[in-house]
Amino acid sequence: MPNVHEPIDVESLRDQFLNSVFDEYELVLDAQKLADYAKSCGETAQKYIDTSNPDFQAPPTFGSSLQPKVRYPKGFPTFKGLGMDAGKAVSPSKPMRAGEPITVKTHMHDIYTKTGRSGRMVFFVNRMEFSNANGDTLGAADTSIVIREKPQS
Amino acid sequence: MSINHLSEVEFGVELPTFQPDTSLANVKKFAIAAGWNSPRFTDHEAARKEGLPGALIPGIMSQGFLSAMIHNWAPGAEIRLVDTIFRAPCVVDERYHINGVVTDIDEESGEVEIDLTVTNDAQETRVFGTAKVMIAN
Repeated sequence: MPNVHEPIDVESLRDQFLNSVFDEYELVLDAQKLADYAKSCGETAQKYIDTSNPDFQAPPTFGSSLQPKVRYPKGFPTFKGLGMDAGKAVSPSKPMRAGEPITVKTHMHDIYTKTGRSGRMVFFVNRMEFSNANGDTLGAADTSIVIREKPQS
Repeated sequence: MSINHLSEVEFGVELPTFQPDTSLANVKKFAIAAGWNSPRFTDHEAARKEGLPGALIPGIMSQGFLSAMIHNWAPGAEIRLVDTIFRAPCVVDERYHINGVVTDIDEESGEVEIDLTVTNDAQETRVFGTAKVMIAN
């Protein structure tokens, strides 16, 4: 993986890396862990905390807790600058159920910049998409990492 | 007041604030359930050795607090989006307030937009964001 010390060429990165799945795996959710997750957050809706509820399902923000096995696409450069977690967005569309196989696929969804008086920041957005064995989309979770570019020495 | 129908939702209304359980024991329970069982979330001393102010509440747990607040207010609400920015760390065993304000209501689709914040006792915003939820008519 090359270590880049020049200004980040955002357009080139977008051309090379956006929208290609670089990580994929399958998992099966454990009912008790889902209930513990929800209860520890203060959730009160029965379908998230009672494993015997007929509509029991993962709490809506659960998708944010999943992580790709590989954080970046193969060949993606590392950058000089401080990388920080800039935020997470989760958008559930159908219930994630305990005991059923769920496929998790990750692609780089966006790369963009913001420029202010103190310099330029580059944002990398990884999107994980979740689907069940029928191929139904269950939702997505975005993780944004920001790098504040350092002046070149 | 618990919200059961879209017609009961008022623009600008503040959702009932709640104070989540941020104890080390509860955060550890969460971290194990989430598969995020790292000392930076479950051990103050280990976190301080990393240069942190103490064990941190995972950002994803703050998302869970925000989601719980929405269901405490509107038990049948279907959350479609929780989009959060982690502005500053939330520290385990400190007190936080989970807040929300209704900023938009689409009466045709049933979608309600809520501005979200997690604040500390000094009224500093540690996490902020937006939720979109569906509430039945």
